[in-house]
Amino acid sequence: MRLFGQRFRRELAIFGMSLIRSFALIQPSGRAAKSPSTRLIQASDKREEKGSKMILLESHSVIINDVLTDRFEKPSRADIQFVDYDNVRFHLSTPSSKTQLLLSMSIQCWPDLVKYGARDHLQHEYAGYLLDEANTEPEYNVSLLIDLDKLPESPEAKLDLISSLAHLKSTAMSSPFISAFNEQSSLQASYKEPAGAQLADQAPAEAKGDLKIVKYREEEAIYIQASHDRVTVIFSTVFKEETDRVYGRVFLQEFVDARRLQSLQNAPQVRYSNREPPLEIRHLPGLKNGEDWGYVTFVLSPRHFANPAQALATINRIQLFRDYLHYHIKCSKAYMHSRMRYRVAEFLKVLNRAKPEVASEKKTASGRTFRTR
Amino acid sequence: MPAYHSVFNDDTSARQVGNTAILPISTKIRGPAPIAADPSQPDIIEESLDLFRANCLFRNFEIKGPADRLMIYLILFISECLTKLAPTPGKPSPSYQEATKVLQTLAVDHFALPGDAGFPLNSLYHAPASRVDADHLRSYLTQTRTELALRLCDRIYPQEQVLGTDGQPTGQLGPRASKPSKWWMSFQKRRFMGRSLGSA
Amino acid sequence: MSRQAPLVIDNGTGYTKMGFAGNSEPSFVFPTVIATHQSNSAGSSNSAPTTGRAPPPIAGKPSHLASKRGIEDLDFFIGDEAVANSKTYSLHYPIRHGQIENWDHMERFWEQSIFKYLRAEPEDHYVLLTEPPLNPPENRENTAEIMFESFNVQGLYIAVQAVLALAASWTSSKVNERTLTGVVIDSGDGVTHTIPVAEGYVIGSSIKHIPIAGRDITYFVQQLLRDRGESQQIPPEDQLRVAEKIKEDYTYVCQDIVKEFKKYDADPYKYFARFSGEHSVTGRKYDLDVGYERFLAPEIFFNPEIYSSDFLTPLPEVVDTVIQTSPIDVRRGLYKNIVLSGGSTMFKDFGKRLQRDVKAIVDGRIAGSETRSGSHIKSTGVEVNVISHKRQRYAVWYGGSLMASTPEFFNVSHSRENYQEYGPSLVRRFSVFGSAS
Repeated sequence: MRLFGQRFRRELAIFGMSLIRSFALIQPSGRAAKSPSTRLIQASDKREEKGSKMILLESHSVIINDVLTDRFEKPSRADIQFVDYDNVRFHLSTPSSKTQLLLSMSIQCWPDLVKYGARDHLQHEYAGYLLDEANTEPEYNVSLLIDLDKLPESPEAKLDLISSLAHLKSTAMSSPFISAFNEQSSLQASYKEPAGAQLADQAPAEAKGDLKIVKYREEEAIYIQASHDRVTVIFSTVFKEETDRVYGRVFLQEFVDARRLQSLQNAPQVRYSNREPPLEIRHLPGLKNGEDWGYVTFVLSPRHFANPAQALATINRIQLFRDYLHYHIKCSKAYMHSRMRYRVAEFLKVLNRAKPEVASEKKTASGRTFRTR
Repeated sequence: MPAYHSVFNDDTSARQVGNTAILPISTKIRGPAPIAADPSQPDIIEESLDLFRANCLFRNFEIKGPADRLMIYLILFISECLTKLAPTPGKPSPSYQEATKVLQTLAVDHFALPGDAGFPLNSLYHAPASRVDADHLRSYLTQTRTELALRLCDRIYPQEQVLGTDGQPTGQLGPRASKPSKWWMSFQKRRFMGRSLGSA
Repeated sequence: MSRQAPLVIDNGTGYTKMGFAGNSEPSFVFPTVIATHQSNSAGSSNSAPTTGRAPPPIAGKPSHLASKRGIEDLDFFIGDEAVANSKTYSLHYPIRHGQIENWDHMERFWEQSIFKYLRAEPEDHYVLLTEPPLNPPENRENTAEIMFESFNVQGLYIAVQAVLALAASWTSSKVNERTLTGVVIDSGDGVTHTIPVAEGYVIGSSIKHIPIAGRDITYFVQQLLRDRGESQQIPPEDQLRVAEKIKEDYTYVCQDIVKEFKKYDADPYKYFARFSGEHSVTGRKYDLDVGYERFLAPEIFFNPEIYSSDFLTPLPEVVDTVIQTSPIDVRRGLYKNIVLSGGSTMFKDFGKRLQRDVKAIVDGRIAGSETRSGSHIKSTGVEVNVISHKRQRYAVWYGGSLMASTPEFFNVSHSRENYQEYGPSLVRRFSVFGSAS
């Protein structure tokens, strides 16, 4: 690590902190779960903006947001394909008429998500818009049909609808988390009666929920497991580049360290292991270990998902973790590059100053010249 | 497509004073001008009025014949007229009747001829060869200026079309506008070839 | 895994157009501007005129305070958000005259474009970037370095804007042969380029720039409004915006100014229009008449004299000169395929007028040489075609989208493996593709 030096570690620590802090931010909100989930997303987004501006990634798709805002005002034809992180593809089109907007999403880990109730969850969130499987656009997993003639009347309701549609991906991805959270609460309920806390530590196996695996990328996966007092979320991540790996490792270590700060005590516990998968998933077959692999474990305690608002905020943050990590590796590189360019420019200045002096003849007042002999 | 030229450049039959053409015009004003053979054809005055707005935009102009010189003179005179009609602080634009009077006075007022010290385009115009020629040119230009002032007033105080109940024009002509059309006045500040007859 | 759609990013001097290959319009169009936070390091000699690049935002601080450094380098906005925050942040334009001048800002601009707006993991995508004609190879290398080393993109293709604009014209119904030979007239906000391209290669020596473009037309409209006294109606802070709106909504190219003036005289109700605006702050309503600027505004392309005093060559003449200075064996192909690109070529009948005027010049020359030859040689005539099409506004981007959606794109792009093998000098070599042959 001498390569980067103390200063750089510092940068990373601050990056790390900012994410952790964002989790910590979830804490103080004791808001009741009255309003529909879309409002909560907006509320949490707002806080995000205030808290740490552009350091975090937003959880909604800007394109969906922009296009829908435009089309809700003035229907017109559309045929747009775009993507989101982690191999998610979207297709927004008007197949039949200008007012019939079809929004389809293909998401790589769809089979996994369905296992954990994604379809029901989407059905619940997008009632009236979600098309059943038979009508889903070919090559896509989910299709929503928005009839622009039957939009909600009030501007606020429209905004809510746009925002909720823009969160399509994160809503779909949230189902395994939600089911894990539910599992945890039922485990907690059933757990209290038979045994005390002491015993639980000795026999943790009985009190564990299913290990949920979401293969969100080609080689990387999220593992979620509920137990009576916590939900463990493990990310496996691979670094394709040597440089990235080094950055990533420093980053993740700092991430773990940052949590020791007093102000961040409320944030979830974070563990990082390089090469070796953590114990919770070590029994799984086909796990990769090697230099390129890293495993990050978040331990979410019930206070992180005590009410739907917090749960949602937690989910929205945690599912962007990998993208966040890679984003910041790239930002750090950009930062290093700018430092390098600056140095080069400085050195060039020095070099330009170092012109060989032209030997000019110096004369005395009487007009004679000195000669060196 | 540079600035527009006079169609009368090819007309070699016209008399010239200096190198400015004396072209026939159709007018009721008395003077030495040759009378246009066919009054229904646009004469040089009509042409100058038509080309005024377009040519005004141009700063460069290549003179292609004696008729161009006359046209330049007339266009510059239109500019001068518009300046006269422009509202100044405390003095709004005149009405149609007043404007006609003002411009008539301006038309017959003393003005510089090519060769005189006050003439702005002396490098392009030859002075009249003799005293007789000069007098002839002066009275010709006075006559043309007067006729042009009349026609200009008709143009810049258009008769508004009467609007029907549906807001569409009916084709009937109403009274003349009470102040000069802004569509003309807006060209007042533009200087054709960067010059003006400012001496008057 | 199905291959993810390549990212198509066209960073222009004024605006950046970005989106995914295969779409017909860019998903984002915003100013190429970055707003950075100028914290108390005002003394950090931001101007640095010798190198033309500003030091990193925190470089001004003494190094022993390094540990106190925060994350200022992440505190920035791009595009519309940058403009919105211009009061508290300072704006920088990383691209000047089509070329990237400030790599620090550009790298961060890309950073946010890709992650925040496109929401794409660059490791999963191929990227198509554009460059102006005559871009120095060093610039391409720098670009490749950033793309491959900062963003780990899978593959990169840097295309010349003019070539993409040619490709975009293939959508026009007038085009029946897919050729990469033609003259591109690219007119954006700041400057208009006339670029001859022969079989995918730009003829650099014949390129001509015209210092008249969208912004000048807006100024001219404003000037005409002021001359007529319409501006008294408009609040001063809205003047430019109103002029721009009038330019976009009302203007067209006429065939002859004098005839057009007469049309307005004969039927004022048909031609004069009325513009209604609203004060952007107070909401007060105002109206003004729109008249001759409707056809005079775009006329400055054809008669620059009426607007500018130092540039006087009409666009058709420039086009003709460009073609006449190109190698003689491609001239016919160039006359046959004059392609329009960019927002300031969108005026109604712009193409028609240009075609007529260029044709007149060409025919005049042919007639001249026929007489000189003593009428012994008869020319078969030269075909002049100006191609106007639906995707003209974002033609460069659209051409990129079109090319990047072909399977061939992945073969001609520089792949990550090759970059690791050969390094940045890889992008000095450039392969044309997309021609029908």
